[in-house]
Amino acid sequence: MTGILVIGEMAGNAVTKQTLETVAAALQLSVELKQPVSGALFGAGDLAGAAAQFNCGFSTLLLVESERLEQYSAQQSVTAALAVIAKLQPSVLLLPHSARTRDWAPQLAAKLGSGLVLDCVNVVVGEDGLAAVKPMYGGGVWGQHVVHGEPAIITVRAGVFDCAKPDAGASIERLEVPNLAPNPRIEHLETIVNEGTDGQQLKDAKTIISGGRGTGGQENWHLIEEAAAATGGAIGCSRAIVDMGWLRWNHQVGLSGTIVAPELYIAVGISGAVQHLAGISNAKTVVAINNDPDAEIFKRADYGVIGDFKEVLPAFIEHVKGYAK
Amino acid sequence: MHIVVTVKQVMDPIIPPSHMAVDASRKQVVSASGAPAVMNGYDANGLEEALRLKQVHGGKVTAITLGNESARNTLKRAVAMGADTAALLCDPQWQTLDSFGIATVLAAGIRKIGKVDLVLCGRQASDSDGGQVLYWLAQLLDLPVVSPIIKIEESGADALVVHQLMDEECQRLRVELPALLGISSEINEPRLPSPKGAVIATRTMIPVWNASTLNVGQVAGKVTIKALDIQVRTGQAEIIEGADGAARGRALADKLHQLGLL
Ligand SMILES: Cc1cc2nc3c(=O)[nH]c(=O)nc-3n(C[C@H](O)[C@H](O)[C@H](O)COP(=O)(O)OP(=O)(O)OC[C@H]3O[C@@H](n4cnc5c(N)ncnc54)[C@H](O)[C@@H]3O)c2cc1C
Ligand SMILES: Nc1ncnc2c1ncn2[C@@H]1O[C@H](COP(=O)(O)O)[C@@H](O)[C@H]1O
Repeated sequence: MTGILVIGEMAGNAVTKQTLETVAAALQLSVELKQPVSGALFGAGDLAGAAAQFNCGFSTLLLVESERLEQYSAQQSVTAALAVIAKLQPSVLLLPHSARTRDWAPQLAAKLGSGLVLDCVNVVVGEDGLAAVKPMYGGGVWGQHVVHGEPAIITVRAGVFDCAKPDAGASIERLEVPNLAPNPRIEHLETIVNEGTDGQQLKDAKTIISGGRGTGGQENWHLIEEAAAATGGAIGCSRAIVDMGWLRWNHQVGLSGTIVAPELYIAVGISGAVQHLAGISNAKTVVAINNDPDAEIFKRADYGVIGDFKEVLPAFIEHVKGYAK
Repeated sequence: MHIVVTVKQVMDPIIPPSHMAVDASRKQVVSASGAPAVMNGYDANGLEEALRLKQVHGGKVTAITLGNESARNTLKRAVAMGADTAALLCDPQWQTLDSFGIATVLAAGIRKIGKVDLVLCGRQASDSDGGQVLYWLAQLLDLPVVSPIIKIEESGADALVVHQLMDEECQRLRVELPALLGISSEINEPRLPSPKGAVIATRTMIPVWNASTLNVGQVAGKVTIKALDIQVRTGQAEIIEGADGAARGRALADKLHQLGLL
C-alpha cells in the first residue's frame, strides 16, 4: 500500500476550511514519506465545484456522488471510504477531525483492523514508522503514537495547519459505490438544528467574548451580552456554564466544545483549565479578566486585567461604544 | 433490562499540567502531588443514565473496569452510586494495552456477564482523550454504536431513541437493542453516592477477572505510545494597570483599540 489519502468534508456546496488544513498536513507528510497524495469527497449532488477547491497537489481525486449521502450516517461514510480505499490502497488516511469523522473513522478502523489516532496536531515519520502527535489529558500532555498497520487512520485537529492552495492538478474521477445504506439497526428520525445560535458561528468568529463560572450568576450575564454587542463579537463560554444550563452546548469553547481561532478572545471569569485552553490555542490575541492573579488563564493570555468583572466590564463596554461613534 | 457500564479510573482532570509528571520511560503520566484518581467523568454520566433507565424499565446495572487493583475504588463508588454488581478486569499483562487491547478485554468481560441489552461507555476517557475504545468494543460485540449521546428518550423495550451531538446540530435516532452508546456530559448530572450506598459498597464482593478467567490471550496492539511530553505553560500576560476596576476596563479598551482589534 502506498500514498496518502485525504477524505474531505463539505459545508453546503464547499469544502470546509479544515479540509484544506488537512490537505496541508498530508502534503507535509508526503515530502517525508515520498508518497503521493490523493483526495476523495463524498456527497449528494454535483461535487465538481467543491472538487475544484479541494484539488491541491493531488495525484488522484475521486468523487462519490449519491443522493443517498444527503443525510449523514456513519455506515454510509464507512462504505464509501472502504470503496475508495480498495481502489487507491493508501498507506495513510488523513481526515479533518469533526463530529462526523470522530464517529465514522473509528468504525472504519474497526472494519479494517487499522491503527487509529483521533484529533492529532502533527504527523511525523520516525525510526519506528509513522507517529501521530496527539494532545491527551485535556491537552496537558502530548503523546507520540506510533501507528501500526495500513492504512493508518489519523484525524487532524482544526486550526493547526494553514490551508493548502488549490492547483487543479489532478484529473477528477467519479466512483460508483453500490450498497450505500445506513445501518438497519439505526434509524434516522430527525435532525434538530440549533435553536439559540446567534447567527455568528463561533468557529469563524473574529471576536469572541466568553464567560465562565466566575460570572457568578445568570443575573450578571447581560454584561457578557453587552460586551459582545459592543465589540461585534460572538458569545462563548466554558463548560461550567453549559453544565449549569445557562447556555446551550454550541456556545462551549474547548476540547469537548468548539475549537476557535478568533483575532480576539476575551475570557471573563474563566480559570483556564487545560480542556478550555485546548479550544483557544489558535486564538491570536487572548485577554483574561479574572480576580485571581494566580489563575492559569494568565499564563495563556496576552493581556490580563486583574479584578472583578462587574467593575471592569461596564467601563470597558462604555469605552468601546465611544470608539464606535 | 441488563445494562453494563464501562467505567475507567483516571487521573483527576482538574490537575493542571504543572502538577503532572512523566516517568523516566516517558510512557506514563502521574500526578506529582499524588492526588487520588477518580471515575472518568463521562463514565459517571453513563452510570447515572443507566440508573435512570433501570428506574424506568427495571433490570440490573453492572459496572466493569479494566485497571489495576487500585481501580477497585472506582467500582466501589459505582456500587455506592447504585450499580448492582461490578467486576474488576485486572492482569499484569494488561498494563500497557492500547485502545483495541482494552476493548478486547472489555468485550471478553461483557461476554462473561451474559445477556446484555445495553452497553454504556463514556464518549472518551479524560486521560487518553482517545474516543475509540467504545467503537472497537461495539465492533467486537457486533452492536450498533452511537456517540456522543446527550439525551435518551423514553421508549419501548426493544429500542431507544437517542440524540447524537454533531457540530451544528443533533441527530435524533432510533437504535435497536442490544446497542452500545457513548455518553456525553450534557445528558445528566451524576448523583453522589448516598451514605446507604457507601455501606452497601463496603459489603459488596467485587470479583477480579484475569486473563485466564476471561480466556484472553496476548493482544497485538494497533498503536504504541512512544513518548509523552507535558506541555507546561511559561507565558505571563501583560497586566493592564489602573486605579480601580473601571479604570482598568477603560485601559483595556484603549489597548485593544490601539492594537486595531476593536
Ligand atoms: C473530559 C473533559 C472535557 C472538558 N471539556 C471542556 C471544554 O470543552 N470547555 C471547557 O471550558 N471546559 C471543559 N472541561 C471542564 C474544565 O476542566 C473546567 O472544569 C472548566 O473549564 C471550568 O470552567 P470555568 O473556568 O468557567 O470555572 P472555574 O474553574 O470555576 O473558574 C472560575 C474563574 O472565575 C474567576 N472569578 C470568580 N469570580 C470572579 C469575578 N467576580 N470577576 C472575575 N473573575 C472571577 C475565578 O478566579 C476563577 O478563575 C472539560 C473537562 C473534562 C474532564
Ligand atoms: N480501562 C478501562 N476500563 C473501563 N472502561 C474503559 C477503559 N478504557 C476505556 N473505557 C471506556 O471507553 C470509553 C472511551 O475511552 P477512550 O477511547 O480511551 O477515550 C471510556 O469513557 C470508558 O467508558
